[in-house]
Amino acid sequence: MKIAVMVKVLPDDQDIVATDDGQLDFSRAKNTISTYDLNAIEAAAQLAEAEGAELVAVVAGPKRVDDSKTRKNILSRGVDSLCILADDSLDLADSRQTGRMLAKIVEKVGDVDLVVCGDGSADLYAQQVDVQLAEALGWVNTNAVVSLKADGAAVSVERVLEDEKEVVKMPLPAVVAVSPDIALPRIAGMKDILAAGKKPVVTYSLEDAGGLEDATVETLEIKAPQPTARKKMLFDGSSDEGIDEFVKALKEAM
Amino acid sequence: MKAIVITESEAAARELCGGARSLVDEVVYLTFCESVAGIADKCVRVSVPEGIAKEAAVDTMWEVVKAEDPQIVLFEPTRRLKIVVGRMAARDGASVITDVMAFCDGSTQSMYFGGVGLRTCKSLTAISFCSVSAGAFGEVSPSGTDVVEEAAFAAPAQTVELVSREKLPPADVDLTAAKRIVAAGRGFGKEEDLSLAREFCKAVGGELGCTRPLTESETWFPREAYIGVSGLMLTPDMYVGIGISGQMQHMVGVDRARVSFAINKDEHAPIFQKVDYGLVGDIVDVMPKINAKLA
Repeated sequence: MKIAVMVKVLPDDQDIVATDDGQLDFSRAKNTISTYDLNAIEAAAQLAEAEGAELVAVVAGPKRVDDSKTRKNILSRGVDSLCILADDSLDLADSRQTGRMLAKIVEKVGDVDLVVCGDGSADLYAQQVDVQLAEALGWVNTNAVVSLKADGAAVSVERVLEDEKEVVKMPLPAVVAVSPDIALPRIAGMKDILAAGKKPVVTYSLEDAGGLEDATVETLEIKAPQPTARKKMLFDGSSDEGIDEFVKALKEAM
Repeated sequence: MKAIVITESEAAARELCGGARSLVDEVVYLTFCESVAGIADKCVRVSVPEGIAKEAAVDTMWEVVKAEDPQIVLFEPTRRLKIVVGRMAARDGASVITDVMAFCDGSTQSMYFGGVGLRTCKSLTAISFCSVSAGAFGEVSPSGTDVVEEAAFAAPAQTVELVSREKLPPADVDLTAAKRIVAAGRGFGKEEDLSLAREFCKAVGGELGCTRPLTESETWFPREAYIGVSGLMLTPDMYVGIGISGQMQHMVGVDRARVSFAINKDEHAPIFQKVDYGLVGDIVDVMPKINAKLA
């Protein structure tokens, strides 16, 4: 069995700053793995370990996504090898462009039985790349997966939806998007990080993957939201007066 | 102009059909669930046979959409519909614009990095496919016919076998309907301390929600209680954040509160810059005092 996990690399949102003129400043934000993709990597790694399967991680994004720290970060999490396509034309790529690009890489990797995606990316949270990827490959797919078991030529999957839960059996090859609850990401040890530096990394160019599809969605503007103006009155909880004032304000609002 | 509205829940069917009416002249409502009467010019229902995943409706629904030839497809952002409509968009050479919070002049507004930014974008394809967040259209009242057409189910080439399905117990928490919302954050070091928040909640007549760490790393809360990246936009009369630092992803969900409060032991916590009234103090110290005064 061969498993491929799709990983988005993004600026760390903790360090994105809204400037005074309402723009977003990413200059201090370092690369990080999109939060929910950490759970996807862990779920894929656990399944690969249980099945003795090979696990390949796939990253596609603008040039900045490919750095040695990010490579090691991904490869220290139970992943056997990494494929990267880093090209600036993928900056702000829409879900169709990304999904179809990833599908091409999955085809190049070859003999993949199961593609694992995260719940949604930290930036767009569109929950669509898994769907576009499945359609491009012509494979079945499902999402909201909270448990994943290999079952012969199929995978048995438990899903938790808005108001029901279900177990489905999917013929392989298939694409699954997993919920964050599926697995808690591991903390890689020093040994894992050192070993990660020796694992194979394959880089692809845009041409290798047959170029980028036309954009289907155009981003017109990204700006910081204008939050509602607030009074910002601060009381001291170590004094009785402070607590009284606060409670008075609470009662007035009720 | 024609819109197709695809939903699972009744509330979303009403809101999206009513909202679609403000964008186009003709509204066609399409569902694989029990249909809601009188909300669109035409209602088409697809029945998915037992024993297969409901997402198998995609082929039939896509035929309906193609025959209707709409300019826009609006849908409820449920997990199933993200697959069904996502597949339609993929087949049509398009992408879904997800969780739209507002429509203006042919463009859409949605969250970026869970609310750190706002993203305005525009579909470049003949049909725009958009999932719509609750509340995007404000107060709307749908109107239309009671006639329901049934589209004959056409099985897709590959189906996912349904092994079992069960209803989840109804959620104890419905933050969207709550007038007063109290949210607990990482400042609650122990699950026992949450009784302080629950007591406070009772005193102010509020619903208790939480930030992400308390639904994910800890299992103190059901997922419905989580206010953050999910795109839940709340409009309560009152919001009180307790032990919450004030991360954008959480604050954006409660930004529309009429009056807002925060309690945090760190006077430099960012949340104090984003609320009307703040109290600096340790939860275990100040909460019993506040609860006593409210009782």
